[in-house]
Amino acid sequence: MGDAILVEDVHFSYEGVPALRGVSLTIRTGEVLAIMGENGAGKTTLVKHFIGLLKPERGRVLVFGTDTRDASVAQLARRVGLVFQNPDHQLFAESVEGEVLFTLKNMGYPPDKARAICDSILKLFELDRYKDRSPYSLSIGERKRLAIAAVVSYNPDILVLDEPTAGQDFFNKSKISKLIFKLRMQGKGVVIVTHDVEFAAQVADRVVLMAEGRVIREGGAKDVLTDAEALRRARLMLPQIPATAAILEAEGVSLPSKPLLPGTLYLELLELLDHRWSERE
Amino acid sequence: MALVDLRHVRFRYAGSDSYALNDVSLSAERGEFILLVGPSGCGKSTLLRVLNGLVPHFYEGEFEGEAKVAGLDVRSTPTHVLARHVGMVFQDPENQLFLSSVEREIAFGLENLGLPRSEVRRRVREVLKEFNLESIKEKAPYELSGGQQQKVAIASVMALEPEILALDEPTANLDPLSALEVLTLVNRLVKEKSVLAFVVEHRLEIALRFATRMIVMLDGRVAADGGPREVLLKAGKVVGYPPVTLAHVLLKRKGLVGDGVPLTCEELAEEVIAKWAMRYS
Amino acid sequence: MSKVLDIFRFRRKRTLLHELDPRAKFAMLVALSAASLALSDGVSLAVLLVVEVVLLAVAKALREWARSLTGLSTLLILIFVLNYLTLPADRLFTATAMTLRFLCLTTAFSIFFLTTTADELAAALEASGVPRDYSMMFTMSLRFVPSLARDMQTVVDALRSRGLELEKGGLRERLRNYTYLLVPLIVFELKRSLMVAEALEARGFGAVKKVEPYIELTFKAKDYVVVITSALALLAVAWVLLSGTYSEFVAWLRGIFPRV
Repeated sequence: MGDAILVEDVHFSYEGVPALRGVSLTIRTGEVLAIMGENGAGKTTLVKHFIGLLKPERGRVLVFGTDTRDASVAQLARRVGLVFQNPDHQLFAESVEGEVLFTLKNMGYPPDKARAICDSILKLFELDRYKDRSPYSLSIGERKRLAIAAVVSYNPDILVLDEPTAGQDFFNKSKISKLIFKLRMQGKGVVIVTHDVEFAAQVADRVVLMAEGRVIREGGAKDVLTDAEALRRARLMLPQIPATAAILEAEGVSLPSKPLLPGTLYLELLELLDHRWSERE
Repeated sequence: MALVDLRHVRFRYAGSDSYALNDVSLSAERGEFILLVGPSGCGKSTLLRVLNGLVPHFYEGEFEGEAKVAGLDVRSTPTHVLARHVGMVFQDPENQLFLSSVEREIAFGLENLGLPRSEVRRRVREVLKEFNLESIKEKAPYELSGGQQQKVAIASVMALEPEILALDEPTANLDPLSALEVLTLVNRLVKEKSVLAFVVEHRLEIALRFATRMIVMLDGRVAADGGPREVLLKAGKVVGYPPVTLAHVLLKRKGLVGDGVPLTCEELAEEVIAKWAMRYS
Repeated sequence: MSKVLDIFRFRRKRTLLHELDPRAKFAMLVALSAASLALSDGVSLAVLLVVEVVLLAVAKALREWARSLTGLSTLLILIFVLNYLTLPADRLFTATAMTLRFLCLTTAFSIFFLTTTADELAAALEASGVPRDYSMMFTMSLRFVPSLARDMQTVVDALRSRGLELEKGGLRERLRNYTYLLVPLIVFELKRSLMVAEALEARGFGAVKKVEPYIELTFKAKDYVVVITSALALLAVAWVLLSGTYSEFVAWLRGIFPRV
């Protein structure tokens, strides 16, 4: 695990309106980071700086040691893959397989290698049976998977997903979370921009909360996603399990740690109730 | 006669091989908050569009079966007549609010009906007051937050005083707090005005607490239809359990909780405390 | 590119120009455009431009206009250079005139669009007898211009993040790269128009052929003043074209201009 992207005191405005007011942040490989906050907090503006689509007015962004002002977007994109929120903005080819091949070609892969990678990627994302079809004939969930597949295919060190679960059904959300775990296991870094607190609770190692262009809280997922006050300031809600734990706490049932997920809550309650029961006996 | 009465409805979009709706029968009355869920492609959006006649008038195809809304036959009644009974709100505020001020948006539907200007003005004043929009009446929709935009969209369709409100993933692009506000507004309309609400949603952890009924669709058919708790137990594997319900399922296996199906944090906490109190009384 | 489209986007302010009836502003637009097309020398066109800048100042829209000039500058330079290179004589004279004419025309239109909402425009069209369908079509297109600009930017960003170097390569390669923009953009905008059409249907558009518009357009004293002035200006333009005085003036001007 190492430092991949360093964001140092970045300021940025759109037509005079400040969007980022001094944001500092580190993205590491081997880790899943969730950048959260309401719409307009500056999350998408921030991630556009990671591949140099936007350059800071003040401060700087270093991607694997290179200042984003010194490299082109395409060069930075080789190491940092960005998947935009709406798949319809980023499907350029006539066929599903063409989409993946298009990306691989731009990234400098020779045709035979590209074909091999394309076949295995489509299989991994369960899109191989659609390989000759037009990307636009797929359902919204499949188009999203295709956009992610095309970016993952060239093996960037960091993958940034902008609102990966917005409007997605349960089946697709599970697929996306499985993919994120797999990438982390492979030592990649994953950044998800989201306001889906439940999804962040499932996949994130670290969480950054943003509001009005600033970072208002940063830390491990367990600490940040159980901090009701900070979440409220970021216009987010406590995920259901921490919210339940908070109610239990208020009623005198104290849990040893701060559970985020149903499984953890279950185990802790099990231990607590069984332990006290056997104590009584 | 029921407000919405569908019998053996089948629909195939022109040029498509498969049926989007494959023998759907259901009836609904005023004062229901119906949550319509299912994986993408299951037909829920199509079903919603039958209510105001977009299917089959706007979207051509083969339509079979009977569909009556507010006593009108959908197949032979044009959408602009059905629009007086069914107010539809879509996912993307940008594509459904296209006038230069909130006031104009609310007037639009009334204007379309050909009502005299004085009457339109009167109703607009009433709606602005009822939905608390007076302070922003001159703002352009693009100046509002996502949550405010959806509230304006709801107010604009409610100006026509429909008995039915149909919402197609209204909170997909909203942060959790705004999503909660919008659904709370819908619930208020259901409770206070006995509106029949059909809400297509993926975010069960936010929407379930309001539902009086849940319909799960799969491949164009109704797979489950009933109270949210029973349907959730039956179809949880397909639509996903909200975290508190999942925690409950795990705890139940060890006999640590009773038979209820919690949909909210408060309900789960209550169940745990009840068991806790039982063991230590 | 999106900077250029900025001059056609409405900004809400309380100025004289914003409060004029859109039909009066339309009359003004016609007069200014006619003048831009009729005049053919750099001096008169410069005077016309000054008049337009004064109007922009009254509309408190100078900053938006100035900002868009940076986007327009490439086009302006192109017009100047093309004229300069292709004309047989009097190149400097004509090139300056053509460039100024283009600037006067676009500025005239931007004065109109910066101070008129799409709804007012629709109301004006309908009051003039245009059927509701057509006026809605027109205002919808206007209303979605900024959305289109934003989508274009997003698609360009997406292309660049897939490793396509849009700034590099020869002209042919760059043109080919830009064609990749077309498919997603067209599909996206088609989907958008479908969604808008659905929303229009769902809100009863087309139920009644002739509606009583919510916005009531009434002519006030200042509107009459503007219309009369515009009419007089149009007469002046006609005189310029028909009488010989202007052509003499232009010939004299050409004479004293460096014959480059």
